[in-house]
Amino acid sequence: MDSSTSVALEPVLSFLAFSLSKLESGFYRIPGSAVVARYVKSSHQNDPGRTILELILVIFAIRTLLQSRTRTDRSGKHFIKFSEKEIDELVDEWVPEPLAQPLSEWEQRDLSSVPVISGPNGPKPKLLATGKIVTNLASFNFAGLAGNEKVKERALETLQKYGLGSCGPPGFYGTIDVHLDLEREIAEFLGTEASILYSQGFSTISSVIPAFCKRGDIIVADRSVNFAIQKGILISRSTVRWFDHNDLKSLEDTLISVEKERKKRKGPLTRRFIITEGIFERDGEMVDLPKLVELKLKYKYRLILDESISFGTMGRTGRGLTELYNVPASQIDMLVGSVANGLCSAGGFCAGSSIVVDHQSCIKQRINGTSFVFSASMPALLATSGSEAITFLRNNPSVLLNLQDNIRAIRAVLEKTEGITLLGHRASPIIHFCLRTQQQSLAVTQPTYDYEAEERILQDIVDDSIANGVLLTRAKHLRGQEMVESRPTIRIAATAALSRKEVEKAAGVVKASVTRILSKRR
Amino acid sequence: MSRPSPKLLHLTVSVPADIKGRRRSGSIVKVEEVGGRTEELLDRSAYLNINANWVNAKGAWLIHVVLVFMGKIIIDTIPGMTQQISWTLVNLIYLNLSYLMFHWVTGIPFDNELHGGAYDDLTLWEQIDDGAQYTPSKKWLFTAPILLFLASTHYTNYNPWLFAINLTALIVLAIIPKLPQLHRQRVRFLTGDASGVSTPVTPSFPRMDQNPLHATNPADAHFG
Repeated sequence: MDSSTSVALEPVLSFLAFSLSKLESGFYRIPGSAVVARYVKSSHQNDPGRTILELILVIFAIRTLLQSRTRTDRSGKHFIKFSEKEIDELVDEWVPEPLAQPLSEWEQRDLSSVPVISGPNGPKPKLLATGKIVTNLASFNFAGLAGNEKVKERALETLQKYGLGSCGPPGFYGTIDVHLDLEREIAEFLGTEASILYSQGFSTISSVIPAFCKRGDIIVADRSVNFAIQKGILISRSTVRWFDHNDLKSLEDTLISVEKERKKRKGPLTRRFIITEGIFERDGEMVDLPKLVELKLKYKYRLILDESISFGTMGRTGRGLTELYNVPASQIDMLVGSVANGLCSAGGFCAGSSIVVDHQSCIKQRINGTSFVFSASMPALLATSGSEAITFLRNNPSVLLNLQDNIRAIRAVLEKTEGITLLGHRASPIIHFCLRTQQQSLAVTQPTYDYEAEERILQDIVDDSIANGVLLTRAKHLRGQEMVESRPTIRIAATAALSRKEVEKAAGVVKASVTRILSKRR
Repeated sequence: MSRPSPKLLHLTVSVPADIKGRRRSGSIVKVEEVGGRTEELLDRSAYLNINANWVNAKGAWLIHVVLVFMGKIIIDTIPGMTQQISWTLVNLIYLNLSYLMFHWVTGIPFDNELHGGAYDDLTLWEQIDDGAQYTPSKKWLFTAPILLFLASTHYTNYNPWLFAINLTALIVLAIIPKLPQLHRQRVRFLTGDASGVSTPVTPSFPRMDQNPLHATNPADAHFG
């Protein structure tokens, strides 16, 4: 056996020996091969194990060197590589779409239901479509400053002195002395060190939040904050924790859990903010400010309070929740308010300590209050209107008593209306009501609401009351864009410009419309 | 047709895949990805990252050779230094310093305001060339420690222990962190839950390390 296998293998072995010797002689003929051979021999050092490991390393290194470059993180994932033929096919199939999709029937109706007013807006405007005079319960005119004669006079004077536009952002030739005056007056009015003026009310809070909150900071915010605040939080890239709407117990639980989480992670102490609104735009709830300040001081958070609705309406002279609850404004780190809502002018402000205010106006290496740095400042005449409005509020605090009277009157009438539920705090100038459903009392499971049907019913109510002489509006939200979908409501903005009788009459009309529409539905 | 009730989105939309019924104690070892969120990618691409571009300069390649050379000479001047210890020291110091620089420290020292903290979770290795793998700089940085190791074994005769130390240091500190499979992955030991090892959480308990705002559809709609 042995001899036969060795006889069979002999030609193979001799071939191998021959080829090896051929290779060796060929190798030594390559210039520099002796160096390599010497290197390998001295590296080997009679230890084959070591040599094998090093050889593996060398092979791995060579393999790495030979790999081709991959795509970067940025471009990779969403990029599909098409072949030429596929690209041609796609191009041939392409049919241009209209730039704006045609409106659905509901959207069409929504659009055409917006009333057009001829002439100036005010407590009793005239509709363009019918020429009738209606009572305006839709526009924000809380202290009755719309159409105020003194304000108009002052605005005309300013227009003649300064012209219309301010021609630039505040940091770049756009600041006029009237802006500085208004800022100072707002700061004095509220009792803070300084304030900064933004030219649009909506973008104020969504600029203030990213000016102070950066990635890695912690924000604890109420679930039902308005859209501008949600956008501000999104832009800021901070970590957010939400607490239940207007529930200070839930807030405290969230603050405790955030602290626990930070201790567990042994992370550094980052900046922490509580963001909430004074009066919520979504449903008119009011926050308990003293308790909130107490919590903020206990857990060492900064408070950003959005007083878009409550500034100019709450408190004895309209200073907002700080006056109402007798909390010094220095306790609130950033007090954001709206000159457009409360003072019937335009824009917004952020009041606080001078450090807070200066931070938003400077550029340094990073842009801070973006809307301040990049948007044009407001026209001079709107700034003087705002100043005039503050003087008005200081001198006529009875206006706010009228407002509260009117609010009470409206609520009294609407509470007696069948089929709707009033939302919000009883002193809030914004009165929301939504349709009452049978499940209202049983909150065992999450009730399912048909929002579209409710919106249609509410729109019917609005149309009916406009036909009967009261201008109403639904609270408009961007469906699918907000974090929490809220029930459709009709929003009534009480105003001090109407007398109590007029307001009661208007509320009666609304009640009649509601009853009429709801009974038709039944 | 009835719409679903108002969603508390972080409870219904994204249920993490690892919660199956009752959750047990936190893992001892867990590998998780960092730095892949859309807005972080967007913030990174806004400006050039000068903190990671410098490795592409040829001087940065040469400096490795120069520093190793100088280091060897300096270490050789210490009295009583044998070749074995000298080469081991050079090797280990080089590996440790390069690990510290490329794989330990995260974030960027310069231009931090421009990127808004988007690089805070990434090491220098992961920032180079925007995360592309097998680029020329990365190939050089991969090869340099291997060459150093091979040179050191060539010029000395290590006893088996020193050889093992050098080889392990090379693999653990230089080769494994640079592998493309470990790009933006972090190995975490003994991560705690919200409630800790002894009290397991049920799936409906709001998870602490989830950020509900990032799970919303509006954010996705904005960022594609």
